[in-house]
Amino acid sequence: MKHNGLFRRATPEAIRTDRLADFSYLDPGVVYLDSACQSLRPQPVLDALTEYYTSYNACGGRVKYAWGRRVDDEVAAARQGVLGLLGLSGRHYAVSFTLNTTFGLNLLLQQLPHGRYARVVTSHIEHNSVFLPTMTAAKRLGIPRLLLDRAADGALLYEPARLERAIVVVNAASNIDGRLLTNLADLVRDTHARGGIVILDAAQAMAHERALLQKTDADAICFSAHKMYGASLGVIVARRELLASLELAFVGGGMVADVREDSYDLLPNDPGALLEPGLQAWAEIIALRGATDWIGRVRPGGRLPTEHLSALSERLFDSLSDIPGLTMVNAAASPVISVYAAKQDSHRLAVFLSQSGIAARSGYFCAHHYLKQRLGLPPLLRFSLGLHSTMADVDRAHDALARLMKGLS
Amino acid sequence: MFCIAAFIVLLFMAAISARYRRYLAKAASCTLRRVTFRPCDTTFKQDLKDHMLAPLAARRPGLVGPASVALEVVAFLVVLTTIWSGYVVVESAANLYVYGTCNKQDSASCSLGAEACSIPDQTPTFGESLAAWDVVGAFGNDFVRLGETFSAIPSRMQNWDASEYLPANATYLNGPDAKKETALEVIDPGCTYCLQLFQNIEKAGFADRRNLSYIAFPIQSATGYKFPNSLLVTQYLEALRLNPLADAKTPVDWQILKRIYTEENDEGVSWQSVINGADSAETTALLQEWAQEFGLSRAQVDTVASVAGSTEVAQVIAHNKTLVEERIHTVKIPTIIFDGRRHDGLVSVDDLD
Ligand SMILES: Cc1ncc(COP(=O)(O)O)c(C=O)c1O
Repeated sequence: MKHNGLFRRATPEAIRTDRLADFSYLDPGVVYLDSACQSLRPQPVLDALTEYYTSYNACGGRVKYAWGRRVDDEVAAARQGVLGLLGLSGRHYAVSFTLNTTFGLNLLLQQLPHGRYARVVTSHIEHNSVFLPTMTAAKRLGIPRLLLDRAADGALLYEPARLERAIVVVNAASNIDGRLLTNLADLVRDTHARGGIVILDAAQAMAHERALLQKTDADAICFSAHKMYGASLGVIVARRELLASLELAFVGGGMVADVREDSYDLLPNDPGALLEPGLQAWAEIIALRGATDWIGRVRPGGRLPTEHLSALSERLFDSLSDIPGLTMVNAAASPVISVYAAKQDSHRLAVFLSQSGIAARSGYFCAHHYLKQRLGLPPLLRFSLGLHSTMADVDRAHDALARLMKGLS
Repeated sequence: MFCIAAFIVLLFMAAISARYRRYLAKAASCTLRRVTFRPCDTTFKQDLKDHMLAPLAARRPGLVGPASVALEVVAFLVVLTTIWSGYVVVESAANLYVYGTCNKQDSASCSLGAEACSIPDQTPTFGESLAAWDVVGAFGNDFVRLGETFSAIPSRMQNWDASEYLPANATYLNGPDAKKETALEVIDPGCTYCLQLFQNIEKAGFADRRNLSYIAFPIQSATGYKFPNSLLVTQYLEALRLNPLADAKTPVDWQILKRIYTEENDEGVSWQSVINGADSAETTALLQEWAQEFGLSRAQVDTVASVAGSTEVAQVIAHNKTLVEERIHTVKIPTIIFDGRRHDGLVSVDDLD
């Protein structure tokens, strides 16, 4: 770190790194550790966006000229890319695009049919994008909402009998400490056995924990492309029967085969379109294909993405654990690690870290109920890794925080 | 406190740059909550402080603690000085309106008022009280002064009629004429602004159009009189009014005033300066010499000299002092009442026309 006088911003020295070439645009002075909020976009994704805008900027699903046909092909490939990533078949599942995870969850939960379900089941550690719509959905359907605990390993703690005709909505990976829904398969099986459905919030799982979701039987999986190296976009992967059962409230262009004075016919063989009223974010959808392809082939440091991330996660977890005065929220290493210092405000630490070029998050990360009300914790400081991250980044973050903690104590 | 200070500082910054208006609104809501004693929007306060401290934290994290305390102290001082300066502005504005000076205690030090010789206030100033560790007195006296100023506002707004404030035995520069309006000046023979006012009056032909009279008011100071011979001259002026010279076209007291204010000795020094620099024997000699020159006999001069030192004259002077301080309420000499208004300090030829 070069110092330019007491009150001017320090110019971090450029560090020679083994960063993936796809992120070579990144300012070497910045250590971005907020991938859980939004991942950095690799160059191929940026290129896909630019290519759409500059060479075939047409509406999808409705035009006959060449650009439009290309858009349709690319969008179909994007849907296919998502199914491929999850190992799911298009015969049972359809892919819809929307704004983000939150919107996807709401589109499903607020349009579920009346009379079919007996309760909404979720857990205490859910993000507000699950926690809040489960409240409104229970209210709309006139059924109770049940809050369950999650074990330290992330498993949902439930008695199967309580899953009777349940709408189970839980995350596959936590945005606080990365814990995984380790009993996903059991949960889906037990819920289905009792006439219920499982809707997964896969916002944190899609980027780095896809193994858990492979070939899942869950009824719907919602996630955000912007947390998995894509452009800003929400994705809903849902069983065709679930989509067909919805009491549609959001309707519009692109969803119908025919319209009369007081009625309409929905598109017969395109259940994915039922959640896509109006024109879509074509460039972002097409860029998602760029992201899914990229995730499949990228080898940071010659390793698989999961290997690269677990090496970085271990290093970050171990080194943060050694800083005196810091309490780890995570029970184990994960690409998402939260900590807090009893004597230092996390927001302050985040502002101070930013001065050294470290971009980390502070606060309750939309899990207020769990962190603030249930655990009574102060605002946390969160570091979340991405495929752009390097060992040098991890060490710089650790060094900066260790120095701050020492100086401030 | 921090929010309030931030609001004050941002108020100035927002006036200069639109960039800060966003924060200003935040600081305002934060301040309003604080003012009504609801918990402040801590994240705003915290955020602001943290961003200010961040450059230091990156270099010397150990100094963040003390710097944070220093910021709070600075915030406290910003608020304190703002409240104080607001108070001073209100007080000065009220004083300027009521007394024609922003500093009632020492009007000559106020550059906003008309030029004048101030009548000093004998109570200690705020600073003097503080220096003497009399904090209660410092604030107390200041509030009393402000109270006096506010209570004098109605008198400032009234319609001033000089004839209501005439002293006993009033004399007029140009014999009184029932058709003319009365004008009255409060003067100190030694005050140079009174000299200038008199010269302006002459240039404007003011006394030709009005019945001009005066109250001689020797300004007191902590140790005696501001101009050492002013009391003596006033005593003679009052004695001359009590013993007017029959048939004099211009009353002798006025002739003496006119000499002091408009004429010079052989060396070109104004008589006012001569008297201000003379001792009382020299002054007495001059006054007696002039009285004779203006038509008094030696015997009449002797009478005047003895009346000048009498209790009767002392009572007249005391009465006039009360008149000036408690009815006219001025702190500036000269003050002149005409055209329904009280004019504090020097009045220009144009304004006298
Ligand atoms: C676990 C989890 N669920 C849902 C969301 C909501 O994602 P979005 O804001 O993209 O809708 C987030 C975002 O941080 C998340 O971490």
